[in-house]
Amino acid sequence: MSGSAIVRRALRAGLVGAVIVVYLALVGMIERFQVRNLIGTQVTLARLLIAAPAFLAGLVAARPRIASGRVEQPTLPQAWPLGALTGAVAGAATGVLMLIWDAIGIDSVRNVFPNASPTLMSILTFGHPVVLAGLILTAGGAAVGAAGSVFRLLQFRIRRPLTTGVVTMLILALLQRIVPTALFELGLASGWLYSPITGGLTWPGALLVVVAATAAAWFWAERRRASRAGPEGTPQGRRMTRYVALLAIAGVLAVLPQLIGSVFSNILGDVGIYLLMGLGLNIVVGYAGMLHLGNVAFFAAGAYLTAVLMSAVPVTALGQGHPALSWHLSFYAALPLVIVLAAVLGVLIAGPVLRLRGDYLAIVTLGFGQIVSVLLQSDWLKPVLGGAQGLTGIAPAPIAGVSFRNPQTFYYLMVVLCVAAIYVSWRLAESRIGRAWNAMREDEQVAEAMGINTVRYKLLAFALGGAIGSLSGALFAVRIGSLTPTSFELLVSITALAVVILGGMGSIPGVVVGALALIGLPGLLSEFEDYRLLIYGAALVAIMILRPQGLIPNVRTARELKEEEILQDAWSRIYAGREPAPAAVGEAGKERG
Amino acid sequence: MSLLEVRGLTKRFGGLAALDGLDLEVREGEIVSVIGPNGAGKTTLFNTITGLYEPDEGDVVFDGRSIVGLRPNQITRLGIARTFQTVHLFPNMSVLENAMVGQHSRSRSGVFATVFRLPGQRREEERIRERARDALGFFGTRLSGYRHDQPAFTLSYANRRRLEIARALATEPKLLLLDEPTAGMNPRETLEVTEQIGRLRDERGLTILVIEHDMRVVKGVSDRVVACDYGRKIAEGTYEEVANDPQVIEAYLGKKAVG
Amino acid sequence: MTDVNQTVPGRRLRRLERLPARRLALGILSALILAVVAVGTFRTLNLPAGQGYAAATWRDFVVLGIARGSVYALIALGYTLVYGILKMINFAHGEVFMAGAFGSFFFAQAYEQSGFLDRNVFVALLILFAVAIAVSTIVAVLLERIAYRPLRNAPRLVPLITAIGASLFLQNTARGFFGPQTRGYPSPKVLTGKWYPFGIPIARTQLLMIIVAAVVMLALQLFISRTKTGKAMRAVSQDPEIASLMGIDTDRIIVTTFAVGGALAGVAAVLFAMTFGQVGPFMGFTPGIKAFTAAVLGGIGSVSGAALGGLILGVLESVGPPLFLTGFHVPSPLQLQDVIAFSILVLVLIFRPGGILGTGEAEKV
Repeated sequence: MSGSAIVRRALRAGLVGAVIVVYLALVGMIERFQVRNLIGTQVTLARLLIAAPAFLAGLVAARPRIASGRVEQPTLPQAWPLGALTGAVAGAATGVLMLIWDAIGIDSVRNVFPNASPTLMSILTFGHPVVLAGLILTAGGAAVGAAGSVFRLLQFRIRRPLTTGVVTMLILALLQRIVPTALFELGLASGWLYSPITGGLTWPGALLVVVAATAAAWFWAERRRASRAGPEGTPQGRRMTRYVALLAIAGVLAVLPQLIGSVFSNILGDVGIYLLMGLGLNIVVGYAGMLHLGNVAFFAAGAYLTAVLMSAVPVTALGQGHPALSWHLSFYAALPLVIVLAAVLGVLIAGPVLRLRGDYLAIVTLGFGQIVSVLLQSDWLKPVLGGAQGLTGIAPAPIAGVSFRNPQTFYYLMVVLCVAAIYVSWRLAESRIGRAWNAMREDEQVAEAMGINTVRYKLLAFALGGAIGSLSGALFAVRIGSLTPTSFELLVSITALAVVILGGMGSIPGVVVGALALIGLPGLLSEFEDYRLLIYGAALVAIMILRPQGLIPNVRTARELKEEEILQDAWSRIYAGREPAPAAVGEAGKERG
Repeated sequence: MSLLEVRGLTKRFGGLAALDGLDLEVREGEIVSVIGPNGAGKTTLFNTITGLYEPDEGDVVFDGRSIVGLRPNQITRLGIARTFQTVHLFPNMSVLENAMVGQHSRSRSGVFATVFRLPGQRREEERIRERARDALGFFGTRLSGYRHDQPAFTLSYANRRRLEIARALATEPKLLLLDEPTAGMNPRETLEVTEQIGRLRDERGLTILVIEHDMRVVKGVSDRVVACDYGRKIAEGTYEEVANDPQVIEAYLGKKAVG
Repeated sequence: MTDVNQTVPGRRLRRLERLPARRLALGILSALILAVVAVGTFRTLNLPAGQGYAAATWRDFVVLGIARGSVYALIALGYTLVYGILKMINFAHGEVFMAGAFGSFFFAQAYEQSGFLDRNVFVALLILFAVAIAVSTIVAVLLERIAYRPLRNAPRLVPLITAIGASLFLQNTARGFFGPQTRGYPSPKVLTGKWYPFGIPIARTQLLMIIVAAVVMLALQLFISRTKTGKAMRAVSQDPEIASLMGIDTDRIIVTTFAVGGALAGVAAVLFAMTFGQVGPFMGFTPGIKAFTAAVLGGIGSVSGAALGGLILGVLESVGPPLFLTGFHVPSPLQLQDVIAFSILVLVLIFRPGGILGTGEAEKV
């Protein structure tokens, strides 16, 4: 094995790990995340972040390498020293940096980086003097790095369930604010799992979850592997699983607000609004393949149109002004009008720019979005749109006496609309229209040659995306009853885009997961809220480089984005034991003719 | 009865005239081959007929009406389908889906019908599927059964070419333009394609215009042959007539040296 | 068989009947816009003395526009150079600009406190420029290495999304590192007040901006047309494969391009910060988009296009709102400055995506 190259890779990984830790420290995450206890009081989110880069560096160091046409993988006796080296480098570099800080004087550093506070230092040094801390970090890093390398060497069959187990435990730890409440509402005791003192998981509880989840994942995978049909399962089996899952989800959805209380229902309301936006954007970006950065225009159109049609009043310095229209429509009467107008807006915006290449189209839509944002705040349109103060006095939208101003009832309205949007998206994807979009995405000229009017279908995508986006705006308007233009800035478009892309372009479950992850999580844990945009940005870059098809990919899009790699990786995945060799599939696998 | 008439077609790219006053006629039920050295403008001819390019001069009359200036999808709707010199499938869509795309211009369901699952839409989906299977079925077992659900990029080269033809078939054309259908095929496959082109005319009632380089295919398939060079027609007739035409020989082989 | 000559005029008439709705709509749109601009201008210029603007105010608007435009031009060059080579829009370029501003800020702050800024203005300024250039260049090169290089062969949307993510990331990194507030960027006392070249009062910082920008752009033009690296850059932007066959290390040229773009942004950063007096984590976003607009306006991929576009955009943005809109009694027209800039972006991309100096062909092939 070409030792020096592997060692160099390990050293590089270690240094990168150190850089990541220092970055997290300077940007303030370490200090901010220290308050979040994950397990007991020992494992805080901050400490996890400190350890994670060393672990990941260990993983990287033990990765198989392609050299001189062969795949090389370190063996166990080679791996753990490598991992230890990597982790040690990571820890040592961090330690050295802290020594330098200490030498310069923490106050000087603070002049430039306000986050370099004594508190930060104490977290990084675990409360010990700097030199000792450096040694601890080096030794600890070595241990964690070695663990990472050894983990990488485990067989895939063991690694995957173990990862699932630990991730499940982490998710439960992060959900520490709602799960205990939910358990409580169900009349179940939660003290064994969540400590009321630390807020996080208890040690016994955490270990239990890891073991249970790992075991469950392992059994499931083994059962599938054993059955003749291979890891995906039989078609009937898959359908059964899908029905059961859908039923379970429906059940949970129905009672969720009761379980988690008003505050968290509110967060779910946020999730729902972005989910709707994401579903609309998914049609434009995922199905029709056009990058659209102006979603905020439709969101704002939906919200403000609804408000104006419902005769909301501008807020002025003297109180309230006069509504632009005195129609006083009810929400449900205004809705169809808003949707239609938004669809028309979509056509108007997209029409002139359809011929542009993908990145130019994105910038143009960005421009439109910005124009709308500025106009909303302008004095010029103040009489109609309320200017910087916005509109207020949007009447609630009761059905049969139930007002949806309450977060827990709003939730149901939102779920109904989301389900409707999901249904529409799904039906369209599986139809002739969806096929036309797919064809256009793969090869536009050939799609034209096959009889598809690409202009019409692009406009259709924009119209639909705009209509659904406006729906979410309308919901937003009626949720609280007033609107301010600060809610309608570029950030909205980018967040919606992040939701779609992170979750998986063209994949409906992906959009759901994206919304939950990107909106729900920051809502739940306020320390994430502070770093929300940073995480979005990093996540977008990481996803595009590592996994452009998103977390829960649409199969076809995944193929498009990863086609070469899927073909190339097929053999290496077989070697790694993830897939059965083709011989098992039989004659059908061979290409004849 | 003339199905396709190309009159004085001229297309220039910068200073180069890819087509220079080309005349061509294809009668209903005929199989006409277009031959000529590379760069003679044959694929440009196809691209202009199908609307990818707009001619600078001249006219293309299909089934009695001029189709110049129409968009490609409108021309397909009128009944002209084509395959491409290099295979242009939709690689990540399944074989069946590729064929179903061909049926796009023969179906109508819009957003409303699709979302609300109107019975008309469901029937139409079924019909699209049937017709796609039927088009694929033209090639017998090669593109049938389990193959339907495989992504198109898994197909072998010859099967990809067949799929392209099947997809073109699915658009229910009157005129089929085949651009070098046997390029890259071995002799056995070439023979098979030759036979299939004949069957396309006989079984499916198509009129076919073929660009070909392989003279065995041209000989075996054509009712008439049109030879082109430098963007215009230099000879026309049966295979024997054209093969022996001195201008054609000169175009392919060059002039005999003097002396 | 009818004669070709007979069908041709017939065909032309039919084509007229089928005039695409698109062209018609665009024609109406452009007519509308021209009408608004013309009427607005006319009315503004004919406003009674109390309501309109004095000639001196117009002159100030124009000068401000030129100054802003020079900064836009410098940043636009970064966009246009990268686009020329990689055919991608480096959405995060605005943050490269911001990084340079921040980098030099801490030095500037220290120098002001110690008085060095005013004692040795020239040396201090040189150091500030050097620091800004260094930081911007490093950020630009890191961007290329980490975020863009792995995606060289990806479908075009992927690098764009990555660039958006990188932009978000850099903005909020700055926010995390330094805090969200905007801070005042010190400028040497010698640069306060005005100079009077040719009798025209111009703020000293603005004049410095214009002069430095012009000099730098000239230097860049010479660099690209005369030096070996410049020629290599042009070669790679025209045909990367052939360029590499000619022995040019395309990877290194790409990095160089990013570096040059970064350096230019660094210069722009100091000029901008000193003139407009503020730095903040989000300061790069709007100038970034406007600079991109300038690049597109002038013709993306063209160096002189970026300069021209910057100038035009700066002046239009500065003079436009008061000129076009006051005539319609639009309250607070200066609020709509950004609308003018974004509208220009949208309109250019609709009508002439290739820009003024471009080929007119940035549409899908």
